[in-house]
Amino acid sequence: MLPYALIPGLPLAAFLFLPLAGRSIGDRSHLVGIPAVGGSFVLSVAGLFQIAGHGPLEIPVYELLQVGSLRIVVGLWLDQLAAVVLVLVTGVSFIVHVYSARYMIGDPRYRRFFALIGLFTGAMALLVLSNNLLVTYMCWELMGICSYLLISHWAGRVAAARAATKSFLVNAVADVGLGFGVVLAFATYGTLDIREILAQAASMSGETISLLGVEIGRNTLITLCLLSGAMGKSAQFPLHVWLPYAMEAPTPVSALIHAATMVNAGPFLLIRLSPLVMLAPSAMVAIAVVGAATALYGALVSLTQSDIKRLLAYSTISQIGFMVFACGVGAFTAAVFHLVAHGFLKGFLFLSTGNSLWQASHGHGTAMDGESGSRRLAVGALVLACIPPLLLFTGPYERLWTAQHTEGARAAFWVIALLAVFTTASYTYRAVQRLFSPRVAGAAPKLFAANKLPVVALMTLGGAALMLPLWSRFTEFLGPVVGQGGLSAPPRAAGISTGLGVALATALAGWLLAHVRHRRPVAKPLQQRPWVMRLYVLFLNQLYIDELHRACVVRPLLRMAVWLRHYVEAIFLEQVLLRAGAVRLTLRLSGGMRRRLEEAVIEGTIQRLASLAIGISAWQFRIIDLRGVDSAGQRAAFAAVASARALQRREPRTVRSNLLIAVCGLVLVIGLAYWWIAG
Amino acid sequence: MPSFVSENLLVPLIAVPFLGILAVVLARRDQWARYWAMASSLVSLALSLALWQAFDPAVSGMQFVRRAAWMPTFNVEFAVGLDGLSMLLVLLTTILTPLSVLASWSSITTKVKAYLSLILLAEGSMLLVFAAMDAFLFFMLWEVTMVPMYFMIVIWGGPKRIAAGLKFVLYSLTGSLLLLVGLLGLHMQAGGTFDIQAMAAATIEEGAQHWIFLALVLGFAIKLPMVPFHSWLPDAHSEAPTAGSVILAGILLKMGGYGFLRFCLPILPEVSAIYSKYILWASIVAILYGGCLALAQSDLKKLIAYSSISHMGFVTLGIFAFNEEGIQGSILQMFTHGVTTGALFLAAGLLYDRTHDRQIASYGGLHRPMPRFAVFFCIFCVASFGLPGTANFVGEFLVLVGTSYGSLLMVVLSMGGIVLAAGYMLWTFQRVVLGRPGNSIAASLPDMTRREIATLLPLAVIVLVVGVFPAPLVETMTATVAQIVERAGNVALLAVPGG
Repeated sequence: MLPYALIPGLPLAAFLFLPLAGRSIGDRSHLVGIPAVGGSFVLSVAGLFQIAGHGPLEIPVYELLQVGSLRIVVGLWLDQLAAVVLVLVTGVSFIVHVYSARYMIGDPRYRRFFALIGLFTGAMALLVLSNNLLVTYMCWELMGICSYLLISHWAGRVAAARAATKSFLVNAVADVGLGFGVVLAFATYGTLDIREILAQAASMSGETISLLGVEIGRNTLITLCLLSGAMGKSAQFPLHVWLPYAMEAPTPVSALIHAATMVNAGPFLLIRLSPLVMLAPSAMVAIAVVGAATALYGALVSLTQSDIKRLLAYSTISQIGFMVFACGVGAFTAAVFHLVAHGFLKGFLFLSTGNSLWQASHGHGTAMDGESGSRRLAVGALVLACIPPLLLFTGPYERLWTAQHTEGARAAFWVIALLAVFTTASYTYRAVQRLFSPRVAGAAPKLFAANKLPVVALMTLGGAALMLPLWSRFTEFLGPVVGQGGLSAPPRAAGISTGLGVALATALAGWLLAHVRHRRPVAKPLQQRPWVMRLYVLFLNQLYIDELHRACVVRPLLRMAVWLRHYVEAIFLEQVLLRAGAVRLTLRLSGGMRRRLEEAVIEGTIQRLASLAIGISAWQFRIIDLRGVDSAGQRAAFAAVASARALQRREPRTVRSNLLIAVCGLVLVIGLAYWWIAG
Repeated sequence: MPSFVSENLLVPLIAVPFLGILAVVLARRDQWARYWAMASSLVSLALSLALWQAFDPAVSGMQFVRRAAWMPTFNVEFAVGLDGLSMLLVLLTTILTPLSVLASWSSITTKVKAYLSLILLAEGSMLLVFAAMDAFLFFMLWEVTMVPMYFMIVIWGGPKRIAAGLKFVLYSLTGSLLLLVGLLGLHMQAGGTFDIQAMAAATIEEGAQHWIFLALVLGFAIKLPMVPFHSWLPDAHSEAPTAGSVILAGILLKMGGYGFLRFCLPILPEVSAIYSKYILWASIVAILYGGCLALAQSDLKKLIAYSSISHMGFVTLGIFAFNEEGIQGSILQMFTHGVTTGALFLAAGLLYDRTHDRQIASYGGLHRPMPRFAVFFCIFCVASFGLPGTANFVGEFLVLVGTSYGSLLMVVLSMGGIVLAAGYMLWTFQRVVLGRPGNSIAASLPDMTRREIATLLPLAVIVLVVGVFPAPLVETMTATVAQIVERAGNVALLAVPGG
C-alpha cells in the first residue's frame, strides 16, 4: 500500500531536497531528479498492474484540518483512472527529466529547474491521486505557481516575466470558479471527500440554490464551477490566451505542461467527477459547447501559425478541446484515451521541437535528415494524433449522442466535430511535416512525398486497426470508475458505423488538402481572395482574444484602480472628509478652548513659575552677594538664573511636551504606589 | 500537563520585555543595547513557546490565570490569562519582536537605545493587551501601544513622518475614545465590573447594547482598520521604519480583530448578529477596495499596506460569519497575515536599507544580483495572496467556508479579492525581481546577508509548514472558538442574511 504514496512523494522529496542541498550540488541536480521521477514511474506501472489485478486502493496519509464540521483528510485514491493517468504523468515527466539533463546543461539555474519540475510532477501526481476536493484544489494551484516559476525561468527576459504573470492570472480568474465550486461542494454535501460527494450527488439532483436571484441546480452549478477551473488550466476558449505565451518557458517545460501536467488537469477533473457531471445535463451542454468551440478555434488558428511552437500550442488547445467536448457528450472513456494518447504524442513532438530548435540555433543544420527511424515515429505520431478524436464517432458514442439530444444539437455536433476533425488532420500534417522533414535550403520538404502516400495511408489504417482492440480493453478497464452517461454497459469494442466512416473520410480529406497545399508553391498573400485574406489575418491574430482581454478586463481594472486611488482615496477620503470635514470642524470647535486652556493655564503657569524662580534666584543672589560668600554659591545662583531664563525662553511646545511627560510619569508613579499600598 | 513551572510563566513573559527596556536603557554601548534587546525578546519567545507547549487545547476558558488587586475601589484588577485566541496572538507577538530587533540591527544608527526600548515597550504592552482579563487593563495598554508606534514613526520614519505620525495618533485617539466610551458603558451596564468574563455573564439592557456595540465596533474598526477608517494605515505603514511597519502590520492591527472576538461577540451576541450584515458587506468592500488600491500603488510599502487592508477584510468577514469555520479562519488569518505581511515589510525594508528608495519602478531584475532575496520574496508574495500550500490559504479557505453558510454571493466577491491579490502581488514580484534592472543601482545590489536571512528564514518556515500542517495552530483555538460560537452563533444564525 504505502509504496504507492511515493508516486507523488518521490518528486516532492526531490523538490524539497534540491534547495536544501546547497549550491554544491549544482550541475548534478539531475542525479536527484531523474531517479526520483524514474522511481515514481516504476511505481506507477506497478500500481497499474496491481489495480488491474486486485482492484482500487485507498491510502490515508494525514489529517490536514478539523474545524467545525469540516474535516479534511489527505489521502490517496489509486483506482483505474488514476493508475492510467499516472503512468502518463510520471512517464512523460521521466522522459522530460532525462531530456532536460542534457538540454539545460550549463544553465545557471539548473538546480532550481530540477527542483521545480519535480514539484510540478509531484503536484500533478498528487492531484491525480487525491481523494479530496480541497487537496485537488491545492495541487491545482501549486501547478499554477510551478508553471509561473518555470515560464519565468529565464527571468531576465521581460517577455518571459510577462508571460508568467499572465498565465498565472488567467488561471487565477478561472480558479475563482473552481474554488467556489469547492466551497459550494462542501456547503452542498457537507464533505469534500470525492467518493462521498459522488455517492451523495444523485440524492442532491433536485436541490437548487439561488444565486443573484437565479434558481440553479446545485449539481449543475458545481459542475459549471469545475468547468470554469478546467477552462483555465486546460486553456479552453476564451481563457486559452496564456498557453501560447507559456512558450517562453524552456522547451522541456512546454513538453511537461502540454503533455504530462497542467493542461491535462482540466479533463482529468471532469472525468474524475464524471458521475456528478452526468447528473447535470445542462452543464454538460455547456462543457460540450466550450470543448467544441475550443477544438475548432485551436485547429483553425494553428493552421495559420508559422512558428512551430505556437502551432503546437494551438494544436494542444484544440486537442484538449476535443477531450472536454468528449466529456460534454458523456464519452469519458474516450476522453481518457485521448488524454493519454495525446500526452505521449505531445511530449514526443515538443522534445523533437526542442531538438530541432537546439540544432538550428547551434548551427548544426538539419540533423534529422536521413534518420529513417524518425520517419516511422513521425507516422506513428500522426496516427496517434488522428485516431483518438475519431473514437467519438464510433458506434456506442454516436448512439449515446443521438439518444440524448435534439435534432438541431445533433446537426451542430456533426458540423463542428467534423470541421474540427478536418482541420486537426490538416494541421497535424503540417506540424509533423515541419518537424521531421529535412530542411534543405531551397528544396521542398519531402517526408510525405507523393510516392509514399499509399504507404502512409496503409500505416494509418494499420494503426487504427491495432488501436481498436486496445481501445476495447481500455474501456473495460476504466468502466467501473468513469461515468457512463445513459449507457448501461461500458462502450465495448468500437462499433464501426457510418459516422466513423464519414469522420475518417473527413480526416483523410483534411490530410490530403494539407498535402496538396504543401506541394504547391505558396500563394502570395495579395493573390488570395479578400475574404480569405481577412479570415487568414483574423485567425493569424487568434481572433484578437488576447487584445480583447486586455481592452475589456485588464485596462479597465487598472484604470478603475487609479481612479479609486485618485478620486476616492486622495480627494474624497483625505481632502473632503478628513481635512475639510473632520479636522477643520474639530479644530474650529476646540480652537478657542485650546487657546484659552493652553495659553492661559499651562503657559501662564510656566511663565509665573519662571518669574518666581528668577525672583528667588535674584534674591538669593543679592543675599549671597551682600554677604560676600564663596564663589561656588555665586555660580549656583547664576546657574539658577540662567536656567530659569532658559525655561522662559524655551519654545512653548517643548515645554508643553516636557510637562506632559512629567504628568504621565507622575500618574504612573501614583498608580504604582496605589497598587503597592492597596495590594 | 499543567506543571508548576508552566503555570507561573505568564507573568514573567509579560515582565521580560519591560526588564529588557531597563537593560537596554542602562546598557553602556549601543551594541550591548542590541544584545540585551535581542536576548529579552528571545526569552519572551522561549517563554511563550513553553506556554504554548503547556497550553491545554481542550479547555475553552482562560488558562495560566494570575490575578492581583490593583485599584479595588474601582473594581480594577491586574488579571491576566490566556485562552486559545490570545495564545496565538501572544505567540505571533513574540515571534515577530526578535525579528524586528534583528531587522533594525544595522539599519538604525541614531538613538539606538531609544528605538530598541520602544520595540520592547510595544511588545510588552501588546502582550498585556492580549493577556488582559480586565477591561481597564486592556484599555490602558491599548493606549500605551500607541506611544511607541508614534515615536517610531516620527523619529525614525521616512520623509513625511510627522504628518503620518500625527494622522496615526489622531485616528488612534478617536478610536480609543470611542472604545473608552464603549467599555465604560459595559462597565456600568454589567454592574460595575471590569472583569471581561463577568461582563459576558451579565445581562445588558437592550437599548444600551446598541450604542455600546457601535462605540466598540468603531474603536476596533479604526484599529483593524476597516474601510473607510483606513486612511491612517498606508501613511503610517509606509513612513514607519522597518521594525515599526512590521509591528504595526504584523501585530497591532490584530488588536482590532482581537477586540471583536473578545468583546463584541461574547458580550453582545444579539446586537452583533443584528449588525453583522453591515459589517460583512463592509468587509467585502474592504477586500475589494484594498485590493484595487494596492493594484494602483507605485510605492512598495504602500502596496503592502493596502494589501493589509484587503486581508483584514477577510478577518472581519470570518468573525461575523458566526460559525466555527469562519472564526477559526479569521484567527488563523490574523496569525498568518502577521507572519507574511511582517515578512513582506522586512523584505521591503531590506531593499530600502540598500537603496533608500521605496518606488517599485526603481527595482527590477533583482533575481540576478539577489537570488536569495528572490526566493524569499517569492515565498512571501505567493503566501500573501493565499496560494494553497502556504499558511494564508488555510485561513482564507476557512473564512470562505464560514461565509458560504450565509451568502454565496459574498464568497464569490471575496474570491475576487484573492484574484486581485494574486494580481498585485505577482505583478509586484515581476516588476521587482524579474525582468531587467530598472537602473544601474538595482543591477549591483548585494544579496542578503546572514543576518537578513536569519530574519526571514523563520517566517518562511512558518509560512510553509503551517500551510501543510495547520493542525497544531487550529487545535489551540478550537475549544475557545467553539465556546464563542456556542454563545454567539445560536443567537446569530437567526439574523445572518440568507443566501
